[in-house]
Amino acid sequence: MGFLKGSASFVKFSVVGELPENSLDFIAQKVIAFSFKDIDDTYDEYSIGWVSVLNMFDSQFAYASYVAGDYITLTLRVDERKVSSAILKKIVQKEEERVRLEQQVPKLSRSMKVQIKERIRTDLMRKAIPLPSTFELCWSLSDGTLYFFSTNKKAHAILEDFFKESFGLLLKQQIPYTMAEHLVDDDLLERLDKLSPEIFV
Amino acid sequence: MDLVDIIAEKRFLGQEFLTWLWWKSEERGGSIELPGAGDITVVFEKHMLLESGEGESSEKLICTGLQTELQEARTGLQMGKKLEQARIVIGHNSYEYSLTMAGAMMEFRNVRLPKTEATENDKSTSPEEVEGMILERIYLIEELVRLVNVLFGLFLKARLGPRWREELSTIRQWVAKTAVIV
Repeated sequence: MGFLKGSASFVKFSVVGELPENSLDFIAQKVIAFSFKDIDDTYDEYSIGWVSVLNMFDSQFAYASYVAGDYITLTLRVDERKVSSAILKKIVQKEEERVRLEQQVPKLSRSMKVQIKERIRTDLMRKAIPLPSTFELCWSLSDGTLYFFSTNKKAHAILEDFFKESFGLLLKQQIPYTMAEHLVDDDLLERLDKLSPEIFV
Repeated sequence: MDLVDIIAEKRFLGQEFLTWLWWKSEERGGSIELPGAGDITVVFEKHMLLESGEGESSEKLICTGLQTELQEARTGLQMGKKLEQARIVIGHNSYEYSLTMAGAMMEFRNVRLPKTEATENDKSTSPEEVEGMILERIYLIEELVRLVNVLFGLFLKARLGPRWREELSTIRQWVAKTAVIV
């Protein structure tokens, strides 16, 4: 939701770096190489990759192209297995009590507790269903800019890292000051640099 | 200077832009003249977040309400606060956009784009229709960003220009006049 339907929240990035000459072929190759791999049927804890903006299950772009005019439109999908700390704590306490009674000891050793916690965590993690998050983006090849449809700072950091890994390009978020550098005439740049906050009362 | 330092040091620029835009929109009853492109309507409504100070000493004020005159927000201005977030409706060429603009980082939040035939057509199945729908949606987003950039450009021209002192004194008069009279 956001880019294609309903209300959208987004920020703009500048794409820094050069694409190879045959840019569309390069992008095609990288999008497939870094496409999303499902972890529902594995024990993996984390998976990240590109899927279609129209369907988060389409990671091979069989049903729709990611190219629209001069734009590359992609969804970044992140699936993660998580175990809530409250559940982990509850099950660990139960298991500790069971082991203590079984071994007939007044108190469990520290190493035994660590071992139990690790075993329970692995066990619960395997049972957890991966939680999906999706973030859409729209990359203008001619402008060298990218709209990212989330204002979440953590999502921005994930995008910046994965975009660099996929395409070898850096993303720099456009903020008022960097936008101003492009909008004002050269003779005002020095004044912009020295500008200090104004008092409006 | 790297981006993190610029963000911290220059966050006032976006906030001053929003504060200026509020004044500018009320100066002519919600209408702002764009050079060479006619008038644009800019109306502030419903939701505002004002901020003053930095880091641990920063203070925030949130004002919401359907039929509000935003009096608390206006008083906030008088206390030296600046606008950090505002719900704005922008109208241009029969298109109407509504968005929450976060000033410091220039984030576009909860943007409602104008409805057009192409973007409302859910039944598109052919790849051409789908691409058309996507391109239309991109066009509307780009158009909104372009309009905001034009407004931001107007602000920068005034803020960095030789007549800023005069404009500032008009803004100060507006701030003084619009606060609640107790």
